[in-house]
Amino acid sequence: MKASLFAAMGYSKRATFPSTWPVSPVHADPKTSVQSYREGMDECELAEEVGFDWVSFSEHHYSGRIPTGTPAVMASAVAERCKRIKIALLGHLLPLNNPVRVAEELALLDNLTDGRLVAGFLRGTPNEDQVYTMNPAEGRGRLHEGMDLILKALTEPEPFSWEGRYYQFRTVAVWPRLVQQPLPQVIVGTRSDDTIRYAADHRLGLGVSFLPVEQTAAITDKYHAWCEEAGWSPGPDDIVYRASIYVAETDELAHKWFEGLMKSRPGPNIPLRRTVSEAIESARTGNAFDLRGVVAGSPEGDVVGNSLGINFIGGPDTVASQIKEFHDRCGVGVMDLLIQQNQVDHKAVMKEIELFGKEVIPQIREF
Amino acid sequence: MEFQEKQVEAGGFSVRYWEAGQGRPVMMLDRTGGRETALHDALAEKYQVFSLELPGTGDSPANTASESISDLAVVAATAAAALTSERYTLIGSSFGANVALQQAIQSPEQVEALILISPTSIHPQDSPAADTLSDAHLAMFAHAENAGKYPIISAETFAKESELMRRLNFGVHDSETEARLGDIHCPTLAVFGQEDRLVSSQAPRVYREKIPNCNIALVYDAGHCIIGDRPEALLNTVLDYAEHWETFIVGHQSGLINP
Repeated sequence: MKASLFAAMGYSKRATFPSTWPVSPVHADPKTSVQSYREGMDECELAEEVGFDWVSFSEHHYSGRIPTGTPAVMASAVAERCKRIKIALLGHLLPLNNPVRVAEELALLDNLTDGRLVAGFLRGTPNEDQVYTMNPAEGRGRLHEGMDLILKALTEPEPFSWEGRYYQFRTVAVWPRLVQQPLPQVIVGTRSDDTIRYAADHRLGLGVSFLPVEQTAAITDKYHAWCEEAGWSPGPDDIVYRASIYVAETDELAHKWFEGLMKSRPGPNIPLRRTVSEAIESARTGNAFDLRGVVAGSPEGDVVGNSLGINFIGGPDTVASQIKEFHDRCGVGVMDLLIQQNQVDHKAVMKEIELFGKEVIPQIREF
Repeated sequence: MEFQEKQVEAGGFSVRYWEAGQGRPVMMLDRTGGRETALHDALAEKYQVFSLELPGTGDSPANTASESISDLAVVAATAAAALTSERYTLIGSSFGANVALQQAIQSPEQVEALILISPTSIHPQDSPAADTLSDAHLAMFAHAENAGKYPIISAETFAKESELMRRLNFGVHDSETEARLGDIHCPTLAVFGQEDRLVSSQAPRVYREKIPNCNIALVYDAGHCIIGDRPEALLNTVLDYAEHWETFIVGHQSGLINP
């Protein structure tokens, strides 16, 4: 099994933010954000040094918790500092983006890293639908067409025009060509049946985030079955699980930290007004939405979405056994870890990365 | 859409208003009074629109009775209550937006949603060389050619309104109102032209920070009179917000180009 560091690049004072989305930029002090990105890149360098295989980046907007709205920019900066580790974009929120631009970013990154790129596509959480005012009802269609277009743009050696449902380009000719031929490893992040099937049918990897093991297994079981139907078997790197983790020297120390966390502040949420969250959900599902039938949110906004909590917590042996369960039950081959919890500072994150590399990675290598 | 001119008694004034359309009530306060704009017409396609002429503005007699914006807000709220028993969307422009802001603070039970177009209560700034009617008119627009297309008020109306606004401290920062912005809990939209010379560029963020459920819309390439510079952009924003309130941030236009 492989280990990946999810490079959240969080603003160091993120725990002080109000629990709303978007977070007003007034909370961002440039000196602090410059320092925070430097610390984030130090964490990536250390991860490479202690044996992590991948470092991953994610597109998230309008908050300092994961302030990488343009993940390819962040990835290219880290790629210059880390010379061996795979650079995994997990990934672009395709419905929000121009797919040809995404293809160009991926091709360039694969060249800059001399073939260390892993590409990932996903639809994104409901709040992110609002970033570029995309109609949430079109998210799935845009994701699927966008993936088709990117895969074509990255592999087609002659210029072509694309007459899509959502995208129309009269000429596409992406430069440079990929270093990894015919394609780098591509991961589709999803929980939805039709997108799981898309990944299986196109022989692409699967990414699942933050779900408990049984729910993850329900998804990976479908994926395995549909891959088999499509005539192939996923390799060990084809199933990626993104998880939040807190690892300490002992179980006692880890649980003591968690108890303190629960007393002081709840875990990270995605807070939106109830009216807004229900409007998005209705658009996504095609259900009717009655604005005036929904009680308006509190002045601070109602908290919706999941309180993610911590997927893995404990000392090195405990964490390794928790990870093994995902490997054994779900076939997960790459564990993508969010170590940068809201309430954990840079120094503590570095300590965790070092501990994980020294005590946990040797164990999960054997899975 | 044909607007019908009518009158309602409120706070010792005979207030002229113009009414058109069917549907949920929309109350409009603006200096233009009965002058229909594309915004009035578009709203009347979907709502029951009441456009009130605030006493002392437009063609109404000089108003020497009102001592403050709050007084005018009481008159507007009284008139509105006489016109509809339902909660309404309140829309004010410029001076009318300042009155609407007070009305939302003073009569929250009446106001379902609030749309402020170019309010000047917070951090107004002096318009350069606006002592004459034509200078004042020009200062309202980002582009002089748009000023020419938009009707200018008469010298008498200008003098009458200028006197009223001076007396009611129009153009002076209203710190008392700023302190009460947190009392507005209805969905609120504040719309500003990016080239508005009558309001500081710092002003919009104050509404956003202090009104609990407030969105800000900035209209590119528009001055104080947004309807004069960018009518389509103003209509798009206001109609969308009137229909969807704070959920107007959720994209609902189709991007499907080839089904």
